[in-house]
Amino acid sequence: MADCDLLTENLPLLLTESLDPASRELTHRHIESCAACSHEWSSYKDTWALLERLPEVPIPAGAKARFLTQIAPVSGRAANVVPFRRRPATRWLAQAAAVVVIAGGAYVGGHRSRPVQLQPTAASIASVQPVAYSIAESRVLPASAMSPTIEGRPDIQNLQFVPAAAGDDKIGVGFDITSHITVTGHPNDKSMVRLLRYVLENEDRMSPSRSRAIDWVRATYSRPGADPEIAAALANVLRNDEHQGVRIKAAETLNNLGSAMPSDTRDALIEALKSDPNPAVRIKAVEALARVLRSGGELDTDALNTLRQKASQGDENVYVRVKAAEALGSIRPQ
Amino acid sequence: MKIRIKLAVLALLVSMPALAGNVTVVDKSTQNFPVDALGSLWIDNPIGSIDVIGTDQGSVVSTVVQRTITGVDQAALREGREAVAISYEGDNNVRLIRTVLPQMRSSRWNASVAYTIRVPHSLHIKIATKTADHVRISNILGNVTINAFSGTIILDSVMGASSVSTVNGKVVYNFNSRPLSHVQVQAINADIEIYSPADSFFDWIADSIKGDFLTTFPVQGKFISPTVYRGTVNAPGGPTLTTATLLGQVTLMAKGTKVALARSLRNDAPKQAPVSSARALLGPSEKIQLPFVAGNWVFAASVADIAVGEIRGDAHVETGAGEVEIGVVFGSCSVMSRGGPLSLGDMLGPLNAHTGAGDVTVRSARRGGEISTGGGLIRLLAAGGPTTLRSGGGDIIVRQTSAAIDAETSSGDITITVDPSDSTEKITARSAQGNIVINVKPQFAADIDATVVVSDNNANAIHSDFPGLTTRREQVGGKTLIRATGKINGGGEKVELYAEDGNINITSQIMAPLRVATPR
Repeated sequence: MADCDLLTENLPLLLTESLDPASRELTHRHIESCAACSHEWSSYKDTWALLERLPEVPIPAGAKARFLTQIAPVSGRAANVVPFRRRPATRWLAQAAAVVVIAGGAYVGGHRSRPVQLQPTAASIASVQPVAYSIAESRVLPASAMSPTIEGRPDIQNLQFVPAAAGDDKIGVGFDITSHITVTGHPNDKSMVRLLRYVLENEDRMSPSRSRAIDWVRATYSRPGADPEIAAALANVLRNDEHQGVRIKAAETLNNLGSAMPSDTRDALIEALKSDPNPAVRIKAVEALARVLRSGGELDTDALNTLRQKASQGDENVYVRVKAAEALGSIRPQ
Repeated sequence: MKIRIKLAVLALLVSMPALAGNVTVVDKSTQNFPVDALGSLWIDNPIGSIDVIGTDQGSVVSTVVQRTITGVDQAALREGREAVAISYEGDNNVRLIRTVLPQMRSSRWNASVAYTIRVPHSLHIKIATKTADHVRISNILGNVTINAFSGTIILDSVMGASSVSTVNGKVVYNFNSRPLSHVQVQAINADIEIYSPADSFFDWIADSIKGDFLTTFPVQGKFISPTVYRGTVNAPGGPTLTTATLLGQVTLMAKGTKVALARSLRNDAPKQAPVSSARALLGPSEKIQLPFVAGNWVFAASVADIAVGEIRGDAHVETGAGEVEIGVVFGSCSVMSRGGPLSLGDMLGPLNAHTGAGDVTVRSARRGGEISTGGGLIRLLAAGGPTTLRSGGGDIIVRQTSAAIDAETSSGDITITVDPSDSTEKITARSAQGNIVINVKPQFAADIDATVVVSDNNANAIHSDFPGLTTRREQVGGKTLIRATGKINGGGEKVELYAEDGNINITSQIMAPLRVATPR
């Protein structure tokens, strides 16, 4: 019965062919299966047919005017009256039709238009980040990786020719070349620090400028924030270098470094003070250890005992003893 | 009255922040332990003070320990109280009382522990401390051993043998009766004071390389070395008091006398014997600063830092240790130091400078001379006469020479630059372990004899910018000896160079001559 009430409301719209296809189909099915609604639908159609057959009678002018006057909007309508207007059925029909048109148009348009064809363009590299240069003892380069232009007149020595192997047409040319390379960068750049460490620690490969290298390191790194790796390199020099002059400079430079002294570096200084045969190295070690002890914090017992032992050691150089004693006198244990 | 009240309120208000800044708590504990009368007591208190008083009552060690913790707030205070503990250990024969501190201490709190301990006076006492406000041992007949780092150490009426070792601070002995046992004090920077009855008799050994020895006792003795005095007080036969302090002063006072009357044994020493160089070294430590000396100047001291601006005559300086800095010497200059850097300016006369250890810097040696160091660098800016340079280990750098140079180092680089106005010069350079660099002008003429001994067979260890040298290689004892000889620019003075485990470089450079201004 509820379906009948609902569908009965559709009968006038069905009559005027204003229903959407789905509702129209549904309403027709219901009319076919429901005798009451079928009867009413027949009544609607008969009435509609009769109305079409009736002759048009002109409306008397006075009656039309009165009628229009009566149905015209009342200007002085009471404020508490809210007019309910019937929603025109064509509005949602128009909206539905618009949606159908847009969706259908898009679908048809999408399937009927030609696929987009992008014109191929040639690939190009805007900029190239150069590969980091590494200093190596020997290196094998494919010819394609080497520029065909040789700059200047480099000194090429120790030439070796490698013939092509069977089934391989590649030949090889080996040589030693001396190039002058200038590496620029911040003092604490890791590459720069590692390069200097290599220069400091490889005494057997270096030219007479090695002690100058330590002087330069001292001048460059005698400020706060120096990389600890420089101190470690100098500690290795102090421990292992057979060149006493170099050890003197290493100890002196350690005393002037702007960074905090790692424990390994301090140990190298203690070893130097205890056993280095050169008194100048021992003097520099005393000065550096005194700086460590004066820098505050926990008192370094090893450094303290070494200085104390040196100050009391009768066969030590008097100046080394005095410097050790003065260093101890400047310490204020907490 | 109102003003007083206002001032009091003001003082209270001012002190409020200080009171609020740190929090302090003091704990006190008392413990008694039985001990054998001839036993020993060991006290280990790194921070604070220690008072040990000998009594003749019973065989009990009575300890009062006061622990003071100061923290930045209550939490730090709690942490400090938990971290600092007192440990009582041992048995009746050996008692050990020690302050237990954490390995790593927070900077948010400080601790100080004060021990007051009464013991049988026959007990032996051993004390270890680091930062002591004071250590006081009174009325003890047993042996006393104290090992400290800083603070005042007082031994009052200690009649047993005693040994004190410390670094900084002061050591005071007070004998109420004449000493009967040996005393040994070993210090680094501490002053030592001993007060004893005037009728005491004992042997006294005093040792200080920088300090002085003062006494009001009649002492018969002498310096057995530049720093050690050995004497007898009143009469021989008593115990030996050994007082050694590296940089401090030793004062030995007869009770009832004034310090002002004390005499310096070092100052007296030269008067007791003919003046000699060794005697002159007995003077106490000094820091000599003289801007100008009109004539000759002779000075000697055991330890002294010397700074003299100008000496118009000859200079003769001897030090046991110290830094020597002399601006100008118009005559001959002789500086002998057993250790310490030498910094010499314009030496117009012959120069003879030696240090046992340390760098030597000379601005100019106008008439040459000898410069040597047991270990250190030698830098000579300008040599105007034949100069010999020797280093026990270190670089030798001659910035410019217009005379013969003979340089030798047991380890180090030698760099010599010949005055560009000289066409030839005799040079001898020898490094037992290092490189040699000779810089000369392109027209420099010489007979070159350069030798290097290297471990690497392939080393090209001699480089010369001048043609005409003949190089030979030979194997000697597993090493390669490379010798380059020949004449450059037609030959001239002999240039002999020898380097082991190093290179030799003879470089040709166009240089501007170095000009050294003449003092007026």
